[in-house]
Amino acid sequence: MNSWLKTSRLCRYYRRGPQEIRAVDNVDLTVRRGEFLGVVGSSGSGKSTLLNLLAGLDTPTSGSIDFNNVTLGSLSRRELSSYRMRSVGMVFQSFNLLHYKTALENVELALYFSGTSKAVRRERAESSLETLGLSDRLDHRPSDLSGGEQQRVAIARALVKEPEILFADEPTGNLDHDNALQIAELLAKLNREGLTILLVTHNLDLAGSYCSRIITMNYGKIIDDSSGTRGV
Amino acid sequence: MKLRDMIEISVGNLWRMKLRASLTISGVVIAIAAFVSMLSFAAGMEENVSERFDRLGLLSTMQVYQQRSTETDTTTLNPLDDGAIEALLKIPGVTLAYPYDVFDVTVEIADTQFSSKAQALSGEAARTRLFSQFLAGKSFTSDMANQAVVTESFMEDLGIDEPDSLIGKKLIVSIGVSSLDSALAHLIESDGETFRERFSRIDVDSLIDSREYLKRTYQKELSEATRRFLEGYFGARDKIADTLQITGVIERTRGRSRSAPILVPVQTGKLFSSSGFSGNPLELLSTIQSGTFFESAPDPSSKSYSRVTIEIEPTVPFGPVKDSVTALGFRSFSYAEEFEEIRNVFVYFNMVIGLIGFLALITVSLGIVNTMVMAIMERRREIGVLKSLGADESEIKLLFLTESGVIGVIGATAGIVFGWLITRVASFIAKDVMVSKEIDPIELFSLPIWLILAAFALGLIVSLAAGYYPASRAARVDPVQALRSE
Repeated sequence: MNSWLKTSRLCRYYRRGPQEIRAVDNVDLTVRRGEFLGVVGSSGSGKSTLLNLLAGLDTPTSGSIDFNNVTLGSLSRRELSSYRMRSVGMVFQSFNLLHYKTALENVELALYFSGTSKAVRRERAESSLETLGLSDRLDHRPSDLSGGEQQRVAIARALVKEPEILFADEPTGNLDHDNALQIAELLAKLNREGLTILLVTHNLDLAGSYCSRIITMNYGKIIDDSSGTRGV
Repeated sequence: MKLRDMIEISVGNLWRMKLRASLTISGVVIAIAAFVSMLSFAAGMEENVSERFDRLGLLSTMQVYQQRSTETDTTTLNPLDDGAIEALLKIPGVTLAYPYDVFDVTVEIADTQFSSKAQALSGEAARTRLFSQFLAGKSFTSDMANQAVVTESFMEDLGIDEPDSLIGKKLIVSIGVSSLDSALAHLIESDGETFRERFSRIDVDSLIDSREYLKRTYQKELSEATRRFLEGYFGARDKIADTLQITGVIERTRGRSRSAPILVPVQTGKLFSSSGFSGNPLELLSTIQSGTFFESAPDPSSKSYSRVTIEIEPTVPFGPVKDSVTALGFRSFSYAEEFEEIRNVFVYFNMVIGLIGFLALITVSLGIVNTMVMAIMERRREIGVLKSLGADESEIKLLFLTESGVIGVIGATAGIVFGWLITRVASFIAKDVMVSKEIDPIELFSLPIWLILAAFALGLIVSLAAGYYPASRAARVDPVQALRSE
């Protein structure tokens, strides 16, 4: 597997009053293509901040992130947006679906910024939802869907762009046990199909069961980097 | 992101917050409607003035007058006579020159007799737009026809309301011509007492001896002679009359282009205007003053006119023509120049009204800013999602600018329609009032295409300007913070 996402001495500090918070502190990490990387740690350990930095949503205080031999820090804002649009898919704990749009429209939204035509957008969104077993929920609004279905819509929205890597930030955090397992199974299936996934979770069992590699963070640092069950 | 998609998303977003959006749009509608209706009134008034000037052909005519004599100026003034008309016709761009050849007449029509004024008019002059605004009938058929065209004011003098009723009516036009012979005859013999009898009463010796007697006598005799002369001059006039048929009735002409109530063909007019002195005392004084009183008959070619109207080709600028008229020793007046001044007044009027409308829109723009800022605060999370999906700052900015632009487009379009409706209602009421006050109803409002475009552009520009700050703020939203927000 290739190491095409790599951080070097990555830091993200910010101030809260007089106090300096070291959310990510000198992190050297290499993510290989096709990997299912779990990032675990307690609340405030810096998992989500690391994910946001890797996804290009946040800017590091120092250090660098290289993706496909391109340093994200050297990209303009527009290029960074393009990176998020073309290479990155994101799934959040709270789904972040637009409540006034249908499932289909929410998925379509991901294709607006690539200039895809309306017909193609619709076709690909429908296909993506069908793949995730939501073909009968196309015209449902998020409020009409269960938590698991909403997260599957969110995953469909992330996948419709055909990203190279999927960043999932606590995707099962708001789901009950059964739905959480279903989502985890789904992610594992996607990974088996070749998608690189970086899963942030505080659920060690889940990470241990499905991830090929697990890193543990504490106070912004990686304190452990080990193979998961699947990787063994 | 495509513009079409942006508009679709923006319309969808505004639709979601119908109440707030409709209130904001209502503000734009009212401001634009006020702007449109006020400027529509100004445009309507300008159009009315312009149309009237143009319809009467006033924008292509110039009035030429003799220079005013001043006490210090002792040079001889150029007479505005037929020679001057010839000279005026030679000015490049001048297509026609005709005099204001007016004379006092007594008219008799349908047992009614009254004093009026008649104007001799050539066929060419009669065909100009000024004399072609027929309420009924048509112009005379030739320069020698025993026909007349009368104006609205003639109708009023007669107390007639229906212009058609005058067509074909016989009009007896007469002029009393004072004779020098009758005046002299009356001076010599009058009141049954001969000149010899009068002379015999004067004491010749006293005339020689007493200067006082001499003075009293010549004063008395001179007064008596003057009285007798004038009595003979005005009292024993010859009457020249002609019967004319009324062929047409034209609209009243006003101001410096006014015409006499009766228009007659030029050759017919000569019968009256060259038959000696009229009963006008001013004319008598003028001839005495000029020393031409005892000349046998006035030469028609030496007749001087109070004004001459010249027609100018529409494509020819007035400036050089005016200069040429001045160079000939005359002064001029043109409605085209006056119209320019009127237009300048309208420009200032429009600017003031436009400014009021603009200030109203500025007030409305604060509402747009408020709406958009509220929208951004409520949609922070959405902005975060869009950024996570790959939207860049310029796209977020454009998305919100499009939203305020849609407010402007809808508001401006509806405002133009609403403004137009206001003008229709106001016009209907105004016309009703005019009719009730027996005034010819006119259209007070006009909605020219430039006004529609200006109102639309103003609504759009103000809305975009109002949306710029909130849109910039939206573009700067930190996606990480936004995605965390509740």
